[in-house]
Amino acid sequence: MTVFPMRKPSVILAAVAIAGISAAAQTPAYQAPRTADGKPDLNGIWQVLNTANWDIQGHAAAPGPLFQLGAAGAIPPGPGVVEGGELPYLPEAAAKRKENFANRLTLDPEIKCYLPGVPRATYMPFPFQIVQSQKYIVMSYEFASAVRTINMENHKKAPIDSWMGWSNGHWEGDTLVIDVTGLNDQTWFDRAGDFHSDALHVVERYTPRSPDTLNYEATIEDPKVFSRPWKMRMVLYRDVDANAQLLEFKCVEFVEELMYGPLRKKTAK
Amino acid sequence: MIRRLMPVAVAGAVLAALAFPAPADPPLRTPDGQPDLQGIYTNATVVPLERPANLKGKEFYTEAEAAENAKKVLGISSWERLGSQAEVHYNMSQFGLDLSQVKVALSLRTSMVVGPEGRVPPLTPEAQKRQAERGARNRGHQFDSAENRPLQERCIMFSTEGPPMLPAGYNSNLQIVQGRGYVAIVQELIHSTRIIPTDGSPHLAPGVRQWMGDSRGHWEGDTLVVDTRNFNDKTAFRGSTANLHLVERFTRVDRDTVLYEFTADDPATWVRPWTAQLALAKIEGPILEYACHEGNLGLPHTLNGAREAEKAAEEAKKAPK
Repeated sequence: MTVFPMRKPSVILAAVAIAGISAAAQTPAYQAPRTADGKPDLNGIWQVLNTANWDIQGHAAAPGPLFQLGAAGAIPPGPGVVEGGELPYLPEAAAKRKENFANRLTLDPEIKCYLPGVPRATYMPFPFQIVQSQKYIVMSYEFASAVRTINMENHKKAPIDSWMGWSNGHWEGDTLVIDVTGLNDQTWFDRAGDFHSDALHVVERYTPRSPDTLNYEATIEDPKVFSRPWKMRMVLYRDVDANAQLLEFKCVEFVEELMYGPLRKKTAK
Repeated sequence: MIRRLMPVAVAGAVLAALAFPAPADPPLRTPDGQPDLQGIYTNATVVPLERPANLKGKEFYTEAEAAENAKKVLGISSWERLGSQAEVHYNMSQFGLDLSQVKVALSLRTSMVVGPEGRVPPLTPEAQKRQAERGARNRGHQFDSAENRPLQERCIMFSTEGPPMLPAGYNSNLQIVQGRGYVAIVQELIHSTRIIPTDGSPHLAPGVRQWMGDSRGHWEGDTLVVDTRNFNDKTAFRGSTANLHLVERFTRVDRDTVLYEFTADDPATWVRPWTAQLALAKIEGPILEYACHEGNLGLPHTLNGAREAEKAAEEAKKAPK
């Protein structure tokens, strides 16, 4: 076994930085397996291993909004998934984000089991499954039975705004690029109150980086809320368990007491 | 939307082929060689689940009779068809959703349920008792809370969502997409996706129960056969229990049509298993998002209305005569 001498930390950091730049700029060396029609095969059940759903920006651990849940309800820490770290909020939007955070127990659409929108659906702590055909790619999310169908041919304009948006996709080498428009202004990016308007335009890039991982990148553009476009990046991991299966998380039932409890008949059984 | 009539026999692939020869296209295959069922479809139909009493003993229409029946049924407006609904609420003609405005696969069948009787078999005594108890429990409490309302009104499950997948009152649309080892079926109502493994994997453990059960598929020739178990005890398809066992069969009969057949078996509910058939007719699409819960004002308004009515009744009691 050869033992390499320890390198100085600064040299390692520089090497990592260069590797990062070159990976982004060039076609990655990894070539994904192909489907029968010759496209990179993204079929599978995927999930993130990060805490972006709590806060897409870097954050230390913190108590949750409900003290009764103790450690189970606390916020797990994370280095953040936003390129450059900071979100370029316009001044008014920054104020609204603060307000959202303060009132997140009543305002976060996740709490009401609303469809999570794009990109949030990707990094919720739930798996999603890609079923890939030539013309359409189905992305089915465990949370709230959310689903979107990516049009790979016959691209059209979004006919109407919706929670999960309108997705037109194409291949750039090994990368699945999805242009998402027609998103409404009702969804958030995370539990920390990060939000967008109905002018949101998301461009997602799914790039295979090994047999069981994908690089995920989303470019967010929303001139009503942000001063410039920004990017988030993370890795998606394949569920390789032999029993891997998307199960039902039909959460409407779980939020009825919260939403309709006050309308319950007082003497009801 | 333009009304288009599609004469299609759904008396089984063989009869369909005899009655309306399929185009001379080669059988459709996916790039990896599976039978290709993919497409966007509607299962809207003029055929009722159960055979009307006046058609007793008659399982099939002639082509002329089928066309005449279709004309009659398609002439009925949506609110007449739905019965109790007021025109102001469910005027679907305005939105192009009336049955006469969507594509409908015609069938020679007089009922979806196959066989000489064309009716869902009688409930077992056990099931009758269960249903009576269920009804009695809710009687007088229909408006007490969300849990007392039907699943559809609560946006948990549409009553036609299944499986088995039956036509909804409107937007009866679904999309089939096939990936490696899986068939996905996206139903517009209410944005549910069935992901059916065709890799020979076993069902979930018996303790894991779901609203839509657990589906496993395999190919028998060109037919996709889907076996579903593990339902929860709240789904209750026409009064069934959690032990409902469902087998569905999907067969392409021509470029624009998939024959859909299901057999439902639950010895605690019906005296015998029963089978029904309907046609999925290809449409242009797209499937749009049906965000039911997100826009559910009906449920809180219903409960609120009931609370207001109770308050008014209390006030009336107190008021001097």
